Amino acid sequence: MHISLKREIKESGPGKTGLIILLLMVGVAVLAPVIAPYDPYQQSTASLLPPSWHHWLGTNQVGQDIWSRLVYGARTSLLVGFGVGILSTLLGTVFGVSAALVGGLYEKVVMRIVDAFIVIPMIIIVILISAYISPGIATLILLLSLLGWQGGARVIRAQALSLKERGHVTAAKSFGANQFYIAWRHIVPDLGPILLVDFIYGVRRAVFMEAGLAFLGISDPTVVSWGMMMRDALSFSYLNVWQWWLVPTGVALSLTIIGLTFVGHAAEPVLEPRLRGVEIA
Amino acid sequence: MAIYGDEALVAMTPELEAHLVERFALDKPLWQQFGTYFLTLFQGELGYSYYYNATVLSVILGRLPWTLLLVGTSLLLSTILGIVLGIESGWRRGSRTDRAMLAGLMSLNGFPDFFLGMLLLITFSVTWGIFPLAGALTPYSGLSGLGLLLDVLKHLFLPVAALTLAHLASGYLLTRNTMITVLKEPYMLTAKAKGLSQRVLKYRHAGRNSMLPVVTQAGIWMGRVVTGALFVEMVFAYPGVGYLTYEALLARDYPVIQGVFLIVAVSVLVINFLIDLSYPKLDPRVSHAH
Repeated sequence: MHISLKREIKESGPGKTGLIILLLMVGVAVLAPVIAPYDPYQQSTASLLPPSWHHWLGTNQVGQDIWSRLVYGARTSLLVGFGVGILSTLLGTVFGVSAALVGGLYEKVVMRIVDAFIVIPMIIIVILISAYISPGIATLILLLSLLGWQGGARVIRAQALSLKERGHVTAAKSFGANQFYIAWRHIVPDLGPILLVDFIYGVRRAVFMEAGLAFLGISDPTVVSWGMMMRDALSFSYLNVWQWWLVPTGVALSLTIIGLTFVGHAAEPVLEPRLRGVEIA
Repeated sequence: MAIYGDEALVAMTPELEAHLVERFALDKPLWQQFGTYFLTLFQGELGYSYYYNATVLSVILGRLPWTLLLVGTSLLLSTILGIVLGIESGWRRGSRTDRAMLAGLMSLNGFPDFFLGMLLLITFSVTWGIFPLAGALTPYSGLSGLGLLLDVLKHLFLPVAALTLAHLASGYLLTRNTMITVLKEPYMLTAKAKGLSQRVLKYRHAGRNSMLPVVTQAGIWMGRVVTGALFVEMVFAYPGVGYLTYEALLARDYPVIQGVFLIVAVSVLVINFLIDLSYPKLDPRVSHAH
């Protein structure tokens, strides 16, 4: 692994664009209370207003300020996204690395579980469970992580299998290092770039899923979410409100996913070095 | 009693409770309930939908053709287009065309299918009125023959467009990535040295070898036929299995949800098996392995 992830992203045009978009979104999410002029939950009698100086993107059917909701929606989206990214990468690393190092029956069991999860479409399980429990943010993060670590674990295991044959690992073993020490000091650090790619795709999947579930109306209705805003806007599609209600929300969601796609694509040579030097202009 | 939702508890009387317990065999032990479920499953019995008042199997089978039509068409279109664009783009890698296509298609990839669907719906149906707003057929139109076919196609166009656009990029990216690695293979140099035409080089030598991952992916996608179109079917109120799932969720019609789930799982397994069978046709090396 002598490919620097930082350089890959910096040298790729879309990679840089993606990074800028993401930083912008994170900025909006963090500074939401400063940017949003209204409380996103504050209802008023002024419903379905067109855009004006007071309400940049108008108001929705219960008189909430759409711009403020859009800004706070970034928080939900990114919180779920990054939460799932971190947790599912962590799970993938734990199971992938342990499967590679322990081997034997344990490895077989873990990898067959991974296979089973990869084959069955995640979305229908998520929908089924969400329909029962209407998950809030924390539950949703947990749910999406538990169903989303398997793909990463497969890649991580494959890489860890080759890493554990390296000389320095044998050397460490000959000094009496135990499995935990080897995993933590020698395998995981070398997995770095792969973990980052896995993380980015985990975030992207979660952002998409969160919006999708809210769009179906089966996640916690008290949380401001882009998906829910689009669902509400769609039911008023016979009015012209979609111009300032549906489109900005959809664009915000799409931009976030595009940012993640660009960064992920720029980082992909880490997994497949033969793709290198292609986008460099 | 959670099966009908908390609302049901309001209307609950002892007689109704006794009736429900008997109807769903809730007084039998769990293993016996499961055993009965499993036995009847082998007789093709998926249960009874209490919302549609029909057997689950007939409800699902009634919706399946629409989903197959919608997903099949868009899958075919997005796979073929994705492969062709990927081959062309990978062949010219690093060029301006390639970079523009890459950025454009990756951006397209970021648009969730339901957002694309809504944009198409609002532009073409609500504002311009070119295409119908919802459904798969004009109700009570009494059309037949060519008229019926045109009506179906008119309703099909926008959902297919949304799904095709949303999934074009993944096939394209995969083909382009494989294309780039394939172009560096020594046999490409040999082929070039033999003086083969560019078209043969591009499509027969490089292109065919770049298709394998896309076929796998299309197969995985095919396995997700039922769920893949869920959001788009919902936007266009297209009466497929995805929309059925959504309706069943709202109505808490669990037998239907369970039935859909089972069919998804089985079709995924069957399709994976079929893909494995088709590999040797595409890449003869596979059959020599082991």
